[in-house]
Amino acid sequence: MTKRGAAKRDISLTVNGEVKTVSAYPMERLLDVLREQLGLTGTKEGCGEGECGACSVFMDGALVDSCLVPVLQAQGSSVVTIEGLAADARARAVQDAFLEYGGAQCGICTPGMILAAVHLLNAKSAPTMDDIREGLAGNLCRCTGYVQILEAVAAAAAKRGAAR
Amino acid sequence: MPGPATIGVSAPRKEGRDKVTGRARYIDDISLPDMLYGATVRSRIPRGKIKKISFGPGINWDEFVVVTAKDIPGKNCIALIESDQPCLADGVVNHPEEPILLLAHADRHALPKAVAAVEIEYEPQPPIFTIEESEQQKQIIWGADNVFKKYLIQKGDVDEVWANADFIVEGEYATGAQEQLYIETNGIIATYDAEHGLTVSGSLQCPYYVHKAMVPLFGLPENKVRVVQTETGGAFGGKEEYPSMIAGHAALLAMKSARPVKIIYDRLEDMVATTKRHPSRTRHRTAVRKDGKILGGEIDLVIDGGAYLTLSPVVLSRATIHAGGPYEWPAVRVQAKAVATNAPPHGAFRGFGAPQSLFAIERHMDRIAKVVGISPAEIRRVNFLKQGALTITDQTINENVELGKMLDRALEHADYHTKKTRFARENEHSPIKKGIGFAAFLHGAGFTGSGERYLASVVGVEGTKEGRVRVLVSSTEFGQGTNTILSQIAAETLGLPYEDAEVAQPDTFDVPNSGPTVASRTAMVVGKLVASAARGIERTLISVSLLGETHTAEEFRAACKKYAAEHGAFRSFTKYEPPANIFWDDQKYRGEAYAAYGWAIYVAQVSVDTRSYSVTVDDFVALQEVGRVLNPVLARGQIIGGVAQGIGFALYEKVEWREGRMQNGQMTNYIMPTSADVPEIRVFFEELGNTHGAYGAKGIGELPMDGPAPAIVNAIEDALGMPFDSVPLLPEDIFEAMNSAANRESEARAPAGVR
Amino acid sequence: MRSDPAEFNLVAPSDLQSALALMTDEGERWMPIAGGTDLMVQYAAGALRARRLMSIAGLAELRRINVAADEIQIGAGSTYTDLRRHETIAHEFPMLAQAAGWVGGIANQNRGTIGGNIVNASPAGDSLPSLLAYGAELILVSLNGERRVPYTTFHTGYKKIQLASNELIRAVCLPRRFIGYVQHARKVGTRNAQAVSKIALAALAQVDGGIVRDVRIALGSVAPVPMRLAETERILTGNLLDDSVVALAAKTAASEVKPIDDIRSTARYRAAVVGNLVVEFLERLRAEPAATEARNEALARWNALSADAAEGEILACCGSRAWARAMAARRPLADESALVGASDEICAGLRDADWLEAFRAHPRVGEKKAEGSASQQSAAWSAQEQSSAAAAGAESKAALAEGNREYERRFGRIFIVCAAGKTSGEILAILQKRLQNDDRSELREAVEQQRQIMQLRLRKWLRA
Repeated sequence: MTKRGAAKRDISLTVNGEVKTVSAYPMERLLDVLREQLGLTGTKEGCGEGECGACSVFMDGALVDSCLVPVLQAQGSSVVTIEGLAADARARAVQDAFLEYGGAQCGICTPGMILAAVHLLNAKSAPTMDDIREGLAGNLCRCTGYVQILEAVAAAAAKRGAAR
Repeated sequence: MPGPATIGVSAPRKEGRDKVTGRARYIDDISLPDMLYGATVRSRIPRGKIKKISFGPGINWDEFVVVTAKDIPGKNCIALIESDQPCLADGVVNHPEEPILLLAHADRHALPKAVAAVEIEYEPQPPIFTIEESEQQKQIIWGADNVFKKYLIQKGDVDEVWANADFIVEGEYATGAQEQLYIETNGIIATYDAEHGLTVSGSLQCPYYVHKAMVPLFGLPENKVRVVQTETGGAFGGKEEYPSMIAGHAALLAMKSARPVKIIYDRLEDMVATTKRHPSRTRHRTAVRKDGKILGGEIDLVIDGGAYLTLSPVVLSRATIHAGGPYEWPAVRVQAKAVATNAPPHGAFRGFGAPQSLFAIERHMDRIAKVVGISPAEIRRVNFLKQGALTITDQTINENVELGKMLDRALEHADYHTKKTRFARENEHSPIKKGIGFAAFLHGAGFTGSGERYLASVVGVEGTKEGRVRVLVSSTEFGQGTNTILSQIAAETLGLPYEDAEVAQPDTFDVPNSGPTVASRTAMVVGKLVASAARGIERTLISVSLLGETHTAEEFRAACKKYAAEHGAFRSFTKYEPPANIFWDDQKYRGEAYAAYGWAIYVAQVSVDTRSYSVTVDDFVALQEVGRVLNPVLARGQIIGGVAQGIGFALYEKVEWREGRMQNGQMTNYIMPTSADVPEIRVFFEELGNTHGAYGAKGIGELPMDGPAPAIVNAIEDALGMPFDSVPLLPEDIFEAMNSAANRESEARAPAGVR
Repeated sequence: MRSDPAEFNLVAPSDLQSALALMTDEGERWMPIAGGTDLMVQYAAGALRARRLMSIAGLAELRRINVAADEIQIGAGSTYTDLRRHETIAHEFPMLAQAAGWVGGIANQNRGTIGGNIVNASPAGDSLPSLLAYGAELILVSLNGERRVPYTTFHTGYKKIQLASNELIRAVCLPRRFIGYVQHARKVGTRNAQAVSKIALAALAQVDGGIVRDVRIALGSVAPVPMRLAETERILTGNLLDDSVVALAAKTAASEVKPIDDIRSTARYRAAVVGNLVVEFLERLRAEPAATEARNEALARWNALSADAAEGEILACCGSRAWARAMAARRPLADESALVGASDEICAGLRDADWLEAFRAHPRVGEKKAEGSASQQSAAWSAQEQSSAAAAGAESKAALAEGNREYERRFGRIFIVCAAGKTSGEILAILQKRLQNDDRSELREAVEQQRQIMQLRLRKWLRA
């Protein structure tokens, strides 16, 4: 007796470099499609209201909260999740720095945090501490108190600079 | 033992690579075939009788599994300390959001509408919501008098001190509820079949607590209940006792449907329905000599436990024992009680009563200083505990802790004296008022008194066929570093590299009960048992001459491989033995309350913007003596994370209550600090060792929660010249206080333009 | 997540016309959804009443930002990130750029749109006070055509706007007349980031010899709608800012607003803070005559130079000698407004050759030395403007150098872009796009960029 709003549609988008076609209701959240249909559980739900950033992904290069994106709006776009950063040198530098500086404790905010960090470093390769604070201000962490995360991002940035 | 040292080294987080790559799997990342999703129908009123439950139109109810209290095979309660909390309300509700009924369906999205369509008629009864209302006993909602528990500490002759006092200082201090706000909400998957029994997996701190609760709920034998902890995204005490409730719910649905059931709370449900920090009210009345020495005092402490007893007696216990702070009290009477209100039961949250009572005493010490006319630092020096002194429970301080010198060092790091003088000068001409303040405190690690003896923790270490060791504990990792620290300890003990040790997934079928992961006991108490069990493995190998008394890592590996090839993976277990000289009287609340205390001085520097009345913490110094730092990066991370939560507790995190229900149950409106709100936090460790702790460590997980709130509020008083005695302290509160003060001032003299 | 996706329909029309046609559709209205940062929150909470939604996020027609001589037209689909990155908005409408940075975190800014902020019509909308202060006008579009309405009367009540059910907001227009104004914006939120505003102020005014002119004070979160403080503005206009005027303005402001107690704050607090923020703004205005005087003094000094010296000095702002000569001839120039106005007029009459000369005074993006002659000051400013781009890696630098070469091969002159605040990645993207232009269009683009650089430099020069 539930009123059906729309049929499922085939929606194609590039995810981590591969074209995927999913059958989904257009208003399914990109977050749920990634996690449940594509098995990419690295992206997390922390609040469902675009406040905590645990669901962060890249959509056409821009950092977005996937809990706020209806999957239809991702049609034809290029989405990158934490899993898709495995080959990205900048992301690896951030991940290594997180391990060295204690940027991850319980780990639930970590994928989103790393995406935000990579997004920041893509735009500003030599960020100030204020830049880093601002770049990560949309990602909430309850465990670390942020300091070691900010230090990890700064270290990753410096390392990339030194490597040139 | 020869071999690379791992203690004191920042060994990388054991499960860290999985966490930074997104490979770590939390409960909502896991699905089982044929799985149903579960949801909870909850009370909309704070107190009353359930008259009728009907299933409204518009839902195909045949598609749903429905569970009520009648479906509970065993005892309808969540066993903890007492059995007053039902698993599902049966005819009566005592708080908003109390679980009444459960639904399950294969389509997760079908549930919210169904939950909303369950119609429940109530006969409301008059509720009570505050400590005062509970004390007044206009309504009795629990037991005979609304009182869950009382403690009394008496030392010396309090009634005699008033006559000799140069000053008598009184104060009342309050703290509000605080939500743990782990970024991963509560979640459980349960499966049941008649042959294997019940298995619950999920986000939790204490597998054996859940086990203990499931056994009577289902009337199952202990070996037919299995509890497994999955990767847990933050807990802070919020997943100490609550998971037993959600596990019971998922299990009931699994039993009824004969299918796996997953329940995941969304953020709103998690915030409004689960436990929070106990609100508190503490009254101090203190007799003081003119040099600042405390002659004695009365401390009256009440915490609000919500509708059911749950852990309130234990929270109260810790609050009571910490109520005197790190000071000598020649005479004291502490009267403490936990009372009932019609709110969801309050529960464990990092600090567990100590942040509440330490806030009170540290605010009170600054007040005493002002009255007496000496500095905040001087009042502490005159009263600090030291080696040989007795605490309020008459525990002798055996270690050479020099709090006065620690205070000196902390104030030095913070540039306290220079800044205090400079701020006083600069504040005259600036709309931004700066201030600096500190708090001195202690935190007892491990279970109180005879608690560890009662827990009788058991720890195992296993030698594997690969020649490596596995630590077998029910102690869980939820960010604080259990996996890493216990691996380090096992490796260090056996002279092995860190990579050769790991911690087994906490699964009650596989690991012994090493006690709950709470009370800052894991590194200290469980760690010591790990070292002991590791030595047990070693002795096994030595006893069959596969290993010499001293050995290299290579030799250990070879011996272990050889032995395991013959006998299979082999284990050694150790059980906690209480130290001989620990004496605790549960009736009089006297004796050695804790095996070890961590000591700390925290200094906060703040700015108050008098245009917006907002407070910013500009700098923070956290100096603590912790026995031994086992892993510097992890330890620093614990302190900073705790300080950030303390900043939230002090300045941002307010639960808006209406009729016992939290109104701001979203992250938009319950405010925790972002990266833009937390300053540089400078951490300093000191080490006096600890005979009762692994490699000299004391517990540190909760310590950092105690200091920030009083340090910050003391700093705000320094900035504004006016006292504040409750947290959270919001800009609106500061405005009201400054406005009233300004009104009083302008009434007292000719009108001037005042904002 | 409390909504069932199966109960909703979302379509994505491919262009504006189709979207507008859908809005005249029979049956339940298709609710437009852009970035989703408001609607998807309602949806997740199970509180979204609409069941039919129409995505306008991909409509290019709504995302253009056009800079005309007298106004800027900001496509309603522009995201907050678009606003923050736009040169003209950053320079001439800094309060709007600042407000765009108030919104949530970077992820919200990448998706939320200015049109969405307006249509959501929350009195706490971050961009709304600055739109009021700047005297915005909205271009509304339907199948019947376009109409233009002043923003001041757009909100008629709490969450009620003057938008017909078949209309979309196409653009937000801001008049380009605020150079030389003192602009002051402040948001007081529940924390420093990711915060709903408790009070937000956007205010601007001209101060002329200590007299306040054309003052606009707009507030958010203190009434059912974002509002201008008409009464407070009246008290201030045409007056000298002495203590009694400031006190009266603060008192009036606190009583003009109609705040409430809500989940975030209290009415009394909000009213008090409004008064305080107005005082903060007025104190800045009081300090302005000194700042203006300093700028006017700089100008006065330049006014007094010989023609040759004046021309030589101002050449650093634009390498066209014709322009510099004409500017020197316009002296004496009274203030910043007159200076910028004169420059704009002269620019309108410059020939292609003059522009090419100006271009040659710049080094290539990514290089230090210009081909033509350039003063030390000009070189220093070039370096400053290119500082974000300079922080690029070797690959980016190589790509930029190649891009520059390609451009020069195609157009026969150096690639000109106002580089301030842009990373090398962004500059490269702009370069690639402009390579597609025909000669005429490309010259016009380059000229506009040069004009922006000149404006930047003129302001810097006066403040040095």
